[in-house]
Amino acid sequence: MELKPNVPEGPLAEKWDKHRFSSKLVNPANRRKHKIIVVGTGLAGASASATLAEQGYEVSTFCIQDSPRRAHSIAAQGGINAAKNYQNDGDSVQRLFYDTIKGGDFRSREANVYRLAQVSNNIIDQCVAQGVPFAREYGGTLANRSFGGAQVSRTFYARGQTGQQLLLGAYSALSRQIKAGNVSIHSRQEMMELVLVDGKARGIVTRNVITGKLETHAADAIILATGGYGNAYFLSTNAMASNVTAAWRAHKKGAGFANPCFVQIHPTCIPVHGSFQSKLTLMSESLRNDGRVWVPATPGDTRKPASIPEEERDYYLESKYPSFGNLVPRDVASRNAKEQCDAGKGVGTTNLAVYLDFADAIHRDGKETILKKYGNLFQMYEKITDSNPLYEPMMIYPAVHYTMGGLWVDYNLMTTIPGLFAIGECNFSDHGANRLGASALMQGLADGYFIIGTSIANYIGSTSLEEVSGDEPAFSDATCGVKDRIKALLNSSEGGPEGKLSVDEIHKELGLLLWDYCGMARNQEGLEKALSLLPQIQEKFWSRVYIPGTGDELNQSLERAGRLADFLEFAEIMILDALDREESCGCHLREESQTDENEAKRDDANFSHVAVWEYQGKGARPHLHREKLTFENVTPSQRSYK
Amino acid sequence: MSTKSIDLTLEIWRQKDSKSKGDFEKYSLENISTGMSFLEMLDVLNENLTGRGLDPVAFDHDCREGICGMCGAVINGIAHGPEPETTLCQLHMRHFNDGDILVIEPFRSRAFPIHKDLITDRSALDRIIQAGGYVSVNTGGTPDGNAIPIPSATAESAMDAAACIGCGACVASCPNGAAMLFTGAKISQLSLLPQGQPERKERAMAMVTTMDKEGFGNCTNERECEAVCPKRVSIANIARMNREFVKAALLG
Amino acid sequence: MACSGFLLILFLCSHAAGNATLFSSVALFQAYADMLHSHPLIVSMFSKGLLLVFIIHIVTGALLFLQNRRARSQGYKVQRRAVKNSQASATMIYSGLTILLFVLLHTYVVSFGNHKTIGETIVNLFSSFFVSIFYIVSFIGLAIHLSHGFWSMLQTFGINHPRYNSFIQRLSYLMPIFFLLIFGSIPLLFLFGTGQ
Repeated sequence: MELKPNVPEGPLAEKWDKHRFSSKLVNPANRRKHKIIVVGTGLAGASASATLAEQGYEVSTFCIQDSPRRAHSIAAQGGINAAKNYQNDGDSVQRLFYDTIKGGDFRSREANVYRLAQVSNNIIDQCVAQGVPFAREYGGTLANRSFGGAQVSRTFYARGQTGQQLLLGAYSALSRQIKAGNVSIHSRQEMMELVLVDGKARGIVTRNVITGKLETHAADAIILATGGYGNAYFLSTNAMASNVTAAWRAHKKGAGFANPCFVQIHPTCIPVHGSFQSKLTLMSESLRNDGRVWVPATPGDTRKPASIPEEERDYYLESKYPSFGNLVPRDVASRNAKEQCDAGKGVGTTNLAVYLDFADAIHRDGKETILKKYGNLFQMYEKITDSNPLYEPMMIYPAVHYTMGGLWVDYNLMTTIPGLFAIGECNFSDHGANRLGASALMQGLADGYFIIGTSIANYIGSTSLEEVSGDEPAFSDATCGVKDRIKALLNSSEGGPEGKLSVDEIHKELGLLLWDYCGMARNQEGLEKALSLLPQIQEKFWSRVYIPGTGDELNQSLERAGRLADFLEFAEIMILDALDREESCGCHLREESQTDENEAKRDDANFSHVAVWEYQGKGARPHLHREKLTFENVTPSQRSYK
Repeated sequence: MSTKSIDLTLEIWRQKDSKSKGDFEKYSLENISTGMSFLEMLDVLNENLTGRGLDPVAFDHDCREGICGMCGAVINGIAHGPEPETTLCQLHMRHFNDGDILVIEPFRSRAFPIHKDLITDRSALDRIIQAGGYVSVNTGGTPDGNAIPIPSATAESAMDAAACIGCGACVASCPNGAAMLFTGAKISQLSLLPQGQPERKERAMAMVTTMDKEGFGNCTNERECEAVCPKRVSIANIARMNREFVKAALLG
Repeated sequence: MACSGFLLILFLCSHAAGNATLFSSVALFQAYADMLHSHPLIVSMFSKGLLLVFIIHIVTGALLFLQNRRARSQGYKVQRRAVKNSQASATMIYSGLTILLFVLLHTYVVSFGNHKTIGETIVNLFSSFFVSIFYIVSFIGLAIHLSHGFWSMLQTFGINHPRYNSFIQRLSYLMPIFFLLIFGSIPLLFLFGTGQ
């Protein structure tokens, strides 16, 4: 595997312009002769499908849900960043670039991040033109709010439903292209395998989850927009169907997987409350704009929050980080919450929670104002916990939220497999070791609306692509492989459920292993232990999982089992990656590598690289490649939010 | 938040596939924590059924945060259950009592054929959007976001309508199986905003026509849709759609 | 539905105004009726027009009912409404049928009955307790029909605005009560012998 980042030469600010100029184009009349497959209909997938179809390509789009409108981008609450500087508070492309790369703890590629900041402004314009009802000031101009990790107000929002509104915007553009006949939409289809012909990505095998039927689809290029792998932990803020399968299939066919250990743990989630819990709910980070985080100053204090006087409260973020206070980046906030709970100051029934208190903000701005900003979040919180944040502080705890790692891509967002592209959360490219709030929406739409079109044209324009019909042996081989796999999954279910385990039981076990040893804080001993325990869970899965029903029907247990099987394999590179990266950076805290103040300590001399894993076959230890990160425009500094 | 355990009897619609005839099956569940969500309760039932070698109940769900619109069923006659402004995934078991009998049925409408158990095909809603629920702009070349000021109140009203999650509860609860609230919400959002003006008439005509073609019923203003809508989308949006449609039909 | 309903409400208004003369005296009512009948063209145009509007209202109502029943071919095992006070809207077809029955009988008695003067017919008619009760029950049906129909008509016309909604809400209660009082008090008047 050869890692060629293909970053254009020249000054940072001119790279994207230069690249667009030097990229090959495809004549508009020829575009319809080229078929593109897009897997996933989140922000990245839907926007890419719509844009490529508008440009004239024949697009086939796949999603696992019943409608492309339901992808998990829809759940993003807080907002989307852009360097518009509408607030005249000193923002610029350069500053958004700097904040993002610093927020990512200098583990991302300068050129990609700069391009992201450059196109961020176009995204806002595009979404406004689509009819996205962003919040407005009374004068009619777009409103902004501030967000963690930034000192300027650059986040655009639509109540607490920004992801929903942006996704519905992209979905509407996609719907328009479906109507026009330029996109064929295949919903309730799960990608099961990637098909390579002559070393290039030329097709996919999908399973219709309603009928169980396997289908093959051929194309000239394939774009994966299949999101992140946070559900490896079982409990996460991801949707239930979010999975690593598509990316993992690609990985096993030769796509490098970058930085799999970079998993963001979001600080403001509703705490776990029982073993039956199926997922965690995030409360938007924007709450930290007005909420104050605190714990009782004395460990073991079980009084009600209201009866703990001011001087016996520890507003630990404000005291520790005076300049950023409650708005420190996510990883810092999460780690500190864990630290407080580990010190016995946690609150709630499980003692695994901290308070997020709005009393001061309500006192200062009035109930009305606070409800206008956070009303729907408060309502959501109350629905789940039966407690109203207007009268009682919220309880929050960190939860797995976003995965910065993903398929390795070059500047064109192409993976190490020619013709296979990865966009959105599915790739690794822009967030380094930690993603700033309101940047995921920005990246998804930047990739889909404004970047992938150039890449696809360049690839098709510069590659000789043989005609592929889908009848080639590669396709039937892949289909057979998928069939065998389904058979293998169902194998252990023969003979009934006695003594067997359900898919979720095993998934919970994997989740707990990862959370304990490869979660918020990691150390060599724990990671090695996890690595030694993992094969046992894998073995348990293949020998004892019970899946009712067959593969030829709607079978939700089978769907989950297939995804878990991939998570179980994937977990290995996650742990290996965390083990290999003997430094702390961003969300990846190695307990061995901390400053005297217990802050993450980077090791730029040895780890200023992207770790890219190459699959070596079943049972073989994956091979690690390194893409060296060079910083010509910023000087990596020790992050400090004090 | 104090949780306790309750015992329930469930009567669930079981249907093998779209061609089979379905029927209700009775299950009893014990020790359900009131801290669970409704879907977590179904998870427990399914784990239980799986452990007994029985076919688990198929139901749609994804985000479990009340925003993707994937989940939904009719609980004791009410779409998404008894709590107002709540999707099934956000409905918690503390709203039920020990010994309750819960009848769980799929969303029913001619336009929503059943795939299996509680899973229905709501793609008709997608086709309504495809008929015109968009602003015809291509990517790129759009004016600056602040080029057209939009009064805050207008943006808020548009957002009220845009909050629709497309779950289909409005259709399921409507005695006529109408999709007027869903369609009205999208038409409203775009007719309120300046960006939606150029295609305003064509959009209203096309979306309403598609809605009828897909086999949804007519509105007789029963207000059931609004009452079960998890996002409190108002029937004022249906009134606006009617205005838009009449204007488009009369004035072309 | 809404358009024909609107015309029917207009008709109700004029009918109520005409009938209100009965509160003064049967003679005045008779004079009013004679005056109307002295313009045969108006009577025939109005009655035919009214018949047409009625038929449209009934046919569209029936079509709507059937179409809507088809759109929801399979009902729920548990039948419940999420809206409180939804009896009026849920029973439009039944209150409508009650009104239809009433209209048929009423026009038969008034127009095709024995050929006395209209005034005498009225006096005779309401001297019967059961007829009076039947009329009053029908008027209650009408009021229920209107309580949903009037608001529903406005909603269908797209008249729904936060500034006027509470007014419309009140009007949709008051209007049916108004008609119930006007129409319903006539049989009462005669039943208790105060009409003359």
